[in-house]
Amino acid sequence: MNVEKKLNVKKFISGNSALVALIFLFIITVMLNGSTFLNARNVLNIFLNNSIVGIIALGMTLIIITGGIDLSVGSQLAASGLIAISVLNATNNILLSILAAAAFGVLTGALTGVLIARFNIPPFIVTLGTMSIYRSVSQHFFNGGGIRVEGSAKDAFIAISNTKLGGTVSVIILYWLVLSVIIAIFASRTPTGRHIYAVGSNEKATLLSGINVNRIKIITYSISGLLVSMAAIIEAARLGSMNSASSGSSYEMDAIAAAVIGGTSMSGGRGKIIGTIFGALTLGIINNMMNLLGVPTFLVSAIKGLIIIVAVLLQTVLNKKE
Amino acid sequence: MNNYIIEMQGIKKSFGPNLVLKSVDFALKAGSIHALLGENGTGKSTLMNILSGILPCDEGEIIINGESRNMMIPGIADAMGIAFIHQELALINDLSVTENLFLGSEKKRGIFLDKKKMTEKSEEILARMNVNINPATLVCDLNASYKQIIEIGKALLKDAKVIIMDEPTTSLTDVEIGQVFRIMKTLKEQGVSMIFISHKLNEVIEICDSYTVMRDGEVVSKGEVTEETTEHMLAKHMVGKELSYNDIYKARDIGETVLELKALERSREFRNINLYVKKGEVIGVTGLLGDGRSELFETVFGIKGKYGGEIYVNGKLVKMTYTSLAQDLGISYVPRNRKENGIIKDLSVAENMSLPILKKLKKSGLINRKMEKEFNDNYVNNLNIKVSDLQNLITSLSGGNQQKVVLAKALGTNPQLVILDNPTQGVDIGAKLEIYSIIMKLAKQGVSFIILSSEAQEIFMTCDRTYVMFHGEIRGEFSRSEISEENIMCVATGGTLDNSINSYTEEMG
Repeated sequence: MNVEKKLNVKKFISGNSALVALIFLFIITVMLNGSTFLNARNVLNIFLNNSIVGIIALGMTLIIITGGIDLSVGSQLAASGLIAISVLNATNNILLSILAAAAFGVLTGALTGVLIARFNIPPFIVTLGTMSIYRSVSQHFFNGGGIRVEGSAKDAFIAISNTKLGGTVSVIILYWLVLSVIIAIFASRTPTGRHIYAVGSNEKATLLSGINVNRIKIITYSISGLLVSMAAIIEAARLGSMNSASSGSSYEMDAIAAAVIGGTSMSGGRGKIIGTIFGALTLGIINNMMNLLGVPTFLVSAIKGLIIIVAVLLQTVLNKKE
Repeated sequence: MNNYIIEMQGIKKSFGPNLVLKSVDFALKAGSIHALLGENGTGKSTLMNILSGILPCDEGEIIINGESRNMMIPGIADAMGIAFIHQELALINDLSVTENLFLGSEKKRGIFLDKKKMTEKSEEILARMNVNINPATLVCDLNASYKQIIEIGKALLKDAKVIIMDEPTTSLTDVEIGQVFRIMKTLKEQGVSMIFISHKLNEVIEICDSYTVMRDGEVVSKGEVTEETTEHMLAKHMVGKELSYNDIYKARDIGETVLELKALERSREFRNINLYVKKGEVIGVTGLLGDGRSELFETVFGIKGKYGGEIYVNGKLVKMTYTSLAQDLGISYVPRNRKENGIIKDLSVAENMSLPILKKLKKSGLINRKMEKEFNDNYVNNLNIKVSDLQNLITSLSGGNQQKVVLAKALGTNPQLVILDNPTQGVDIGAKLEIYSIIMKLAKQGVSFIILSSEAQEIFMTCDRTYVMFHGEIRGEFSRSEISEENIMCVATGGTLDNSINSYTEEMG
């Protein structure tokens, strides 16, 4: 009985190492800077500041589970956001603006998927290419600058992200949580979700099971594209503007980091959406802790990088022991 | 002083609460080939891992050349000349023979590789085995038997006195097996001892001098291989009960043609393939490795893409360009090489089994857990799959049970035709016979089977009819009464049988 309990605890820890790391970080931060950190406003800020990357990381997790990677999500976000604001300013129609951004996200995602699946180009290469293309074309059309939300629909559009539930909790956090639940159910409970894991674990065997592997890959990149365009709308509405050069820059790294810290295997086949949520929060706490402790700005990334490596190392060690 | 090079006495080993070796005695004579037999999971691998210092034993003594040794001292297995060739060959395909032989023990001159010396040494090793290949050849360009031979070469390079070979012939064809056996005999004459782990009892009788049979962690029988030793006797020891090979095959009613291939061809892989299978019929397609049969049926299943010629399913012309289409037409596929193509290692037993039919197990878009469980339980019972918890990873099962899960996967879609490529690879005798009975039972219910196999015995035990391929062409067709090892081998190696060619051309009309 006792042995069994012990085994379960161990199994739980190695299965949810991101949560463990999160709790660990949480305790350290509380010890170092308890009163400010635990302030409700600060906690909400951590959620809020990581919601956008958190949404992108959901799609990234699915992609990494198929054994792929998407480096283009940052510039895809910038391009989607610029399209959304341009359409809004031209038509004053919010629905049209959202649809235009979503269409761009899904279509570019599907295109990436087709290049990877049908033409067998490694995901790293395809998305390295599309990353440059989205960014460069965006900068060309906006002359390296950005665009602001204007016109009669401005206030309503801004309200998409700047509404507070009960006067305190930003609606953005709600978007993140709802999308997370939907993607988590999709991944664990639908046939396509199960197929995504199968493709990443053993593509040939999945193909031989009579499953259209190309279709699964294209769907996965399309879903990621859709999620990125949603994140773009939320970001555009939150800031009231989008910049062709800086918006979304390095988001792909944070999204990949969130997935990996959350226990998603870079070689595919393994990973959980809940882990990615913990992963994104872990990144958030790290950033927050740095701020509160007054770590010099230029060193923040170094410490972040270090913590990512340690988190993954921890998982590897725990998995090996099992 | 006896002439045993290795004696293992009273070896005990347990993993957690499971006692896997219950005081095992094992002895190997110098310069002999000794068979270690037993079904999957009887402790053979554990015993060999203990001998080669990969695992510690709980109790017991290991005596090498008359001296008691602690095999857990790092490097002692090498020093004692014990080499273990695992079932999964540890070769790097993109490196040459020499580079593979010296991988990890490269000869250097200064800081650079001493290619000349390594090439010379490689040539010497290859000559010792009487093998005529250029050591600069890339491993990916060699056929499967040479890969096994290079592994043996690696052992010789370390001056091995005892070579443990774990199922060295499972992925080889008869001709290639002959090649490996010739080398084993050559080495035996040079005084090298070998421990041969295999499920193929005919091979044991052909090549081995003595045998040890294990069952449930104990030695149940050992002795010399003599004129009186029969496969039947060894199998009986392994399984612990009488086995009957002969009443597996059962005659059935054969219906309409289900699949017909007309003049099918694909680049250099296969040409002019004309073949049919009828409802409830079990046909074989046999030949040597590399005869194109796997490529042929991968094409039929829609994996390969473009092809020439015509494929008819139930009399209708179809274009097989993707696997989901084949599945919709009621065709399923059990691929060769379970590990690479059959199982999905990160998924559980349950998830593997239900993978192809998830779409039918959903309610309002979500997988219905109850329906999935019912489906899985049904197959666990029907195929007698031994599994403690369906939620465990597929990799936790033994080879035979994994193969049954792969079979369940293929049967789960209720196919009208199942293509099985090397269906009993690495499966022990008990499970093998079970798989054959399942095939027979389903054939009686009207399911058609195409069995791709290099084992004449397998074809004989199950098939109504068989085609024999050679270099991408069908060279012969035999009815059940004509199926014999001699006939198949003759055609498979490029020979001709008058009657087979006649019946073949008649078939063609």
